[in-house]
Amino acid sequence: MPKSQFIDQKEVRKSGWIKYQDTPLNQYNKTIEEEKANYSKEDFLRIYRDMFIIREFELMLNSIKTTSEYNGIQYSHPGPAHLSIGQEASAVGQAYVLDTNDWIFGSHRSHGEILAKGLSAIEKLSDKELMDIMEGYFDGAILKIVQGDQATVKELAIDFLIYGTLAEIFARETGFHKGLGGSMHAFFCPFGIYPNNAIVGGSATVATGSALFKKVNRKPGIVVANIGDGSMGRGPVWEALSFAAMDQYKKLWEGDMNGGLPILFNVYNNQYAMGGQTNGETMGYEFVARIGAGVNPEQMYAERVDGYNPLAVIDAVRRKKQLLLEKKGPVLLDTLTYRTTGHSPSDASSYRTKEEIDMWFEGNSVNEFKTNLILANVASSAEFDAIDKACVELITKICGWAVDTEKSPRMDFIKNPRQLEDLMFSEGHAPKLLDAEPDVLMPKAENPRVIQISKKERFGFDKNGKPVSKNKVFQYRDAIFEPILDKFYEDPTLVAYGEENRDWGGAFAVYRGLTEAIPYHRLFNSPISEAAIVGTGVGYCMSGGRAIVELMYCDFLGCAGDEIFNQMAKWQAMSAGVLKMPLVLRVSVGSKYGAQHSQDWTSLCAHIPGLKVCFPATPYDAKGLMTTALNGTDPVVFFESQRLYDFGEQFHEGGVPVESYEIPFGEPDVKKVGSDITILTVGYTLYNALKAAKMLEEQYGISAEVIDARSLVPFNYEKVLESVKKTGRIVLASDACQRGSYLNNIAQNISEMAFDYLDAPPVVIGAKNWITPAYEFDADFFPQPSWFLDAINEKILPLKGFVNTPNVNFTNNERIRTEKKGV
Amino acid sequence: MATPVIMPRQGQSVESCIISKWNIKVGDQVKVGDMLFTYETDKATFDEESKLEGTVLAIFFEEGDDVPCLLNVCVIGNPGESFEEFNPNTGSEEAPAEEAAPAKEEAPVAAAAVASAPAANIQEGAPVSPRAKAYAQRTGVNTAFVAGTGPYGRIIESDVKNFVASGANTTYAASAMATSDMNGTGFNGRISTADLDSPVAAASVAAPVAQAPEYEDVKIPNIRKVISKSMHASLSTMAQLTLNASFDATNILNFRKQLKDVRETMGLANITINDIILYAVSRVVLNHKDCNANFIEDGTVMRYFKNAHLGIAVDTPRGLMVPTLMDANTKSLNEISIEAKKLATSAQEGTINPDLLKGGTITITNLGTLGIESFTPVINPPQTCIIGVNTLQTRVKNVNGEMKMYQAMTLSLTFDHRALDGAPAARFLQELCKNLENFNMMLIK
Repeated sequence: MPKSQFIDQKEVRKSGWIKYQDTPLNQYNKTIEEEKANYSKEDFLRIYRDMFIIREFELMLNSIKTTSEYNGIQYSHPGPAHLSIGQEASAVGQAYVLDTNDWIFGSHRSHGEILAKGLSAIEKLSDKELMDIMEGYFDGAILKIVQGDQATVKELAIDFLIYGTLAEIFARETGFHKGLGGSMHAFFCPFGIYPNNAIVGGSATVATGSALFKKVNRKPGIVVANIGDGSMGRGPVWEALSFAAMDQYKKLWEGDMNGGLPILFNVYNNQYAMGGQTNGETMGYEFVARIGAGVNPEQMYAERVDGYNPLAVIDAVRRKKQLLLEKKGPVLLDTLTYRTTGHSPSDASSYRTKEEIDMWFEGNSVNEFKTNLILANVASSAEFDAIDKACVELITKICGWAVDTEKSPRMDFIKNPRQLEDLMFSEGHAPKLLDAEPDVLMPKAENPRVIQISKKERFGFDKNGKPVSKNKVFQYRDAIFEPILDKFYEDPTLVAYGEENRDWGGAFAVYRGLTEAIPYHRLFNSPISEAAIVGTGVGYCMSGGRAIVELMYCDFLGCAGDEIFNQMAKWQAMSAGVLKMPLVLRVSVGSKYGAQHSQDWTSLCAHIPGLKVCFPATPYDAKGLMTTALNGTDPVVFFESQRLYDFGEQFHEGGVPVESYEIPFGEPDVKKVGSDITILTVGYTLYNALKAAKMLEEQYGISAEVIDARSLVPFNYEKVLESVKKTGRIVLASDACQRGSYLNNIAQNISEMAFDYLDAPPVVIGAKNWITPAYEFDADFFPQPSWFLDAINEKILPLKGFVNTPNVNFTNNERIRTEKKGV
Repeated sequence: MATPVIMPRQGQSVESCIISKWNIKVGDQVKVGDMLFTYETDKATFDEESKLEGTVLAIFFEEGDDVPCLLNVCVIGNPGESFEEFNPNTGSEEAPAEEAAPAKEEAPVAAAAVASAPAANIQEGAPVSPRAKAYAQRTGVNTAFVAGTGPYGRIIESDVKNFVASGANTTYAASAMATSDMNGTGFNGRISTADLDSPVAAASVAAPVAQAPEYEDVKIPNIRKVISKSMHASLSTMAQLTLNASFDATNILNFRKQLKDVRETMGLANITINDIILYAVSRVVLNHKDCNANFIEDGTVMRYFKNAHLGIAVDTPRGLMVPTLMDANTKSLNEISIEAKKLATSAQEGTINPDLLKGGTITITNLGTLGIESFTPVINPPQTCIIGVNTLQTRVKNVNGEMKMYQAMTLSLTFDHRALDGAPAARFLQELCKNLENFNMMLIK
């Protein structure tokens, strides 16, 4: 909501018409004869060869999947194989135009794209560049396996490409990502082949983030999101289109940053979404290309191209790439194609007729192209036979290598049980990711927020122990702002975005003062597209940048479920450590706004392997943990609380330091020392626990030790166990609903590890398993100080003369009753 | 018809028994087979089942009372029937049923403590928190006596701490036994039913503990007293000394391995090294009559035995017991093995016939399983010898100029120098070792 843009009532209420351009459909109509001016014989034959290699590769996999045999090689592959037989011309045509600076992101059906783009890169790179890549990749581990009597470096590189891909598909440690990605997630960055994605349309947001990285960091090349027509039914894909087509790139971003994102949404329209027919059954657009008209005035320069003709695809992609280099993106291409095999080998194709499949198979792109080349006297049929024979031999050779367990071993978790464990997090420390000068608008010291903060008291109490007023105290929101501002001046790749991040400064004023300091391309407002906010962050970070994305309310986390749980969490390990994910996702736990704006979902994130999860409760911890998150290379879900934003520091002596400092993830902090009972809290609940501790001490002479978990993942139990060994008792509490609260996990682990020290079972206190009612009922829903006493009295240590809180009941019978009811 | 129940006599040597625990109280209905009470001799515990059906009309003794055998202990009959005529404590002025123990009124401290204790807090089978359990173990508290104040009556750490700190709790604990199920606990825990030998003693213990909670005084159970007395007597009246000699155990180890292989097909018992030694002793000792003898009547008479009756020292939850394997020299190795096992089991369960706890001519005690390499066993009077069996050790010996490793076992023979001299004792030990080294040959005879 920039002030520079005036919404003129008179203008917007005018009557008129939206005019659309015609959308081209298969307008390419050149003959081979005409194209001879643009392609040499070698070019034509190489296009054919690449298509044939893909065809043979997929036929080989189909044979292995359905008969456990290929050209005499016996092998059984239990994993997936989504084949692209029929789509060869589309893949090769696109790759023909792209160079290694152009990055492609794909789908579950991307074997062909990997091979096409790889073969194209091999053709374009020099022998030295190829050797450097192969020798540098996992210290030449894959190269050593394939290196033999190949006559040329390019031949060696082709063996390397096909072998690395197939070994990855067969889950071999010698695959491009040690077999941890597999068929649906295979890729190879040095050739510009970025992650393929098993989530339909998953690449749309990720590729958009990658394009954002290229733009913001002035990197050459374009980014292609290869997604299927089935993915057009997915919300995140539409969110990616919205995000990619934001007006601000062209209207608000300044200087060399002005202009559209270099992203091509290429829809490999094979006309089926698994078994659903997109045109005629499951969608309503008729032509994918029509969608461009609904996205922006340029209609995304959308057109349909005949994906069965490689020359038509080359023509289209070349024109689209030019548009992107002219900063006219985003672009949409509807590449019409067909897969003649099923969704997967287990698909009996019961949703289509044999006649239809036969028609597309007989007129398949490989044969058609060969016939046309022969008819145009480009080469003789015998020359093609020789190419075919060589390709079959090539695939047979590579298949033999890949199934040979001696040559191509799998990871051995018996010998090395921690091999995958060690890849879950990269644990890097990288204060800046590029060496460039960060783009900022003013010296840090002149920033109005910085000046304002410099006048604040950095400890919550004055010399006499009296609380400093909210206006004068250095608040939790300041503690999050400070390290973020510092990082903007340190790491040129850092970008921050989300809803209301710019101008407003975030719905909770954490970013107030950032707008003045940071240019648009590093701090901007996104569409209300949570999936795109997180998904683009994933793409941005895996491309080499660092991002802080914000979801405003924790409750919106579900809108970005796949992007957080499957993308952000998984790519470091799925890439065997090749990719880093220095993405910080800020999530604020709400208050006062009812059922869909008040939930603590730390437990959901803590459940997913691959995410670091923290929830600071004090300004000191917030600054230290944010600094750690921003210096690290791992994905962090950074929980905040709207109850806490105006809190001053109450614990750390001397207040929150001005200078930068880190608090390591996973280290809980003792906020109050005690001897009779331990209380472990997450987030805001710390303050209610401290009130409970006071009641216990004053009314019952029980001394409570209060520990703030600070992080959920990772988590060091040692300090808590030490406390429990001392006290013999523990209550665990947070504002998350009790059922499924991650604290139950911690409680269970404590039971196991400190069983003989326990004087009573660990008790978990959470919010009721209801919707969050209106703010007026907070005391009935969220854990209150008195609830701790109820829990202790009922489960741990009867308190003399204690009168139960009327609306809570920690008895076993009550638990059985409510659980039986599902509440 | 009102019928008295008597204190049974277990074995000819038993004169009186202690009532460990009453399972009934006055007014209870009992059926045939119901457990009335448990009682113990100095070496074993027994259950007394009801042979009658009816109502418990009177109980004449309290738990802990030492009751002469064959005396009436309670009466079963129909309500209203008279029972006073069965009361063995005639002459007592007070009503015998409730206050039978004459010493009771001499223990006002104990009585007061019981009265003030919230008896309801001691629950049978009350849950104990792991932490409280660990604390009780460290301080030697039997949690069966501790009142739980945690949720659901759980005994928590502070309950045990309070129990230790409070002297009153000791007497409280003892009295609590009257209402709680005490099966076996008296022997596992530090506090035993034997504490109630004399209420006076219990009371006198209570007072100092209350002032000095840093330690715990526990009354010694009868069996311990017996052991204590006999050990002291043994060492203070005899002239004991110990000889040690080792033998090459290769032969018996191989033999045992062979036995294992054929055990099932031949229907043999699980023959242990100890059984083999018992067998060897039973044969060899007959060649050394001074070692198979009792030195009696103040050292004026040696009683030589024709047969070898082997005392076998058994470590039981109650303490050391030595049942006797009679006429061992007439029994096969398999028979010895079976019988030794049976004796050990009944000793451990406390159900052994007291008559089997005497009559031995020589004793074998084995600490080898606990890794002991050599010790001085204490003679079980009036026997003259005791053989201690030690652990297996790897040693080397020179065989035709080559160092060879082998398994050695040491035997420790303590003998009474009053009864025999060192040389004959050493000859016995030497022959025993020789035979064990060539155990196969022994079996041929």
